[in-house]
Amino acid sequence: MLERTTDADLLARARAGDDRAFAALVERYESAVAATAVGMLGPGDDADDVGQEAFIRFHHSLDHFRGESSLKTYLVHIAMNLSLNALRRRRRSVLRFVSRDETPIESAEPSAGPDGHVDAEELRVLVRRAVSQLNEKHRAVVVLRMFDDCSTRDAARILGIPEGTVLSRLSRAMKEMEALLAPYVDSGAAVRETIR
Amino acid sequence: MIDHDESLANDPLAALVRASAPERFESGFSDRVAARLRADREPALSAVLQRQFFQIVPIVAAASLMLAAYNWWGARETSSSPIEAVLNLPQVTLASAYSSSVLYGAAAADMETQ
Repeated sequence: MLERTTDADLLARARAGDDRAFAALVERYESAVAATAVGMLGPGDDADDVGQEAFIRFHHSLDHFRGESSLKTYLVHIAMNLSLNALRRRRRSVLRFVSRDETPIESAEPSAGPDGHVDAEELRVLVRRAVSQLNEKHRAVVVLRMFDDCSTRDAARILGIPEGTVLSRLSRAMKEMEALLAPYVDSGAAVRETIR
Repeated sequence: MIDHDESLANDPLAALVRASAPERFESGFSDRVAARLRADREPALSAVLQRQFFQIVPIVAAASLMLAAYNWWGARETSSSPIEAVLNLPQVTLASAYSSSVLYGAAAADMETQ
């Protein structure tokens, strides 16, 4: 029933203390926040913590959200800031414990089938690995523009950089990814429909 | 300013990257968020203790002041200093220090009186 309710209605109900309305918002925007957190940090507890924290902060600021940006952009903004903080903490940590977060799930090389095609899921894993190999600045732009489908303007606003910088970073990031994924791009075009 | 949106829309690599976006967290994510919200709402033990401490402090402070005033009022003329009076400390002199009740306890003092 709540699936068809508008964001504005759900927000009003969540502000009034309706937990079901807030849960509906969490389910509605989980994918956007997951794309940001998992895209930046890789799958695992770190990304899950960032996702939870993003929604907790959103809940605390329900009364302050005025709708100047879309709810998705607002949540992605929070998730991106938290992800960048988590990456800084990772860098600072002297003792690095081997955890699920640091074990790249993309460790397996994709295995091509007899016809030379790569399985859709393996290809997706390969693309995420390529994204994780980008430096932090380039990765943030790719995550916002490609994974979250943000506009250049929104990406610039979220990262606090000029739009031109977003475009140049995106261009460089795509070139790096092209070098990494060149053998699979044709295959990717072929399996795009399968993935979707 | 040229936005590359259109060129990216037709780029097979961009399409591949878009299609590879992580879609969800591990199952039960909204339940985990709800659990954290509930935990946030429940007052922490430290907050409860702090509130109780601040409720008790004025009562204890008032009782201490009353006791100090009572002590001072009773011993204001015999005590050598106001602090001794407030704390109701017995006067310590050389004679009292060497008295048998101090040296050997109350039993010796009883024997002396007998």
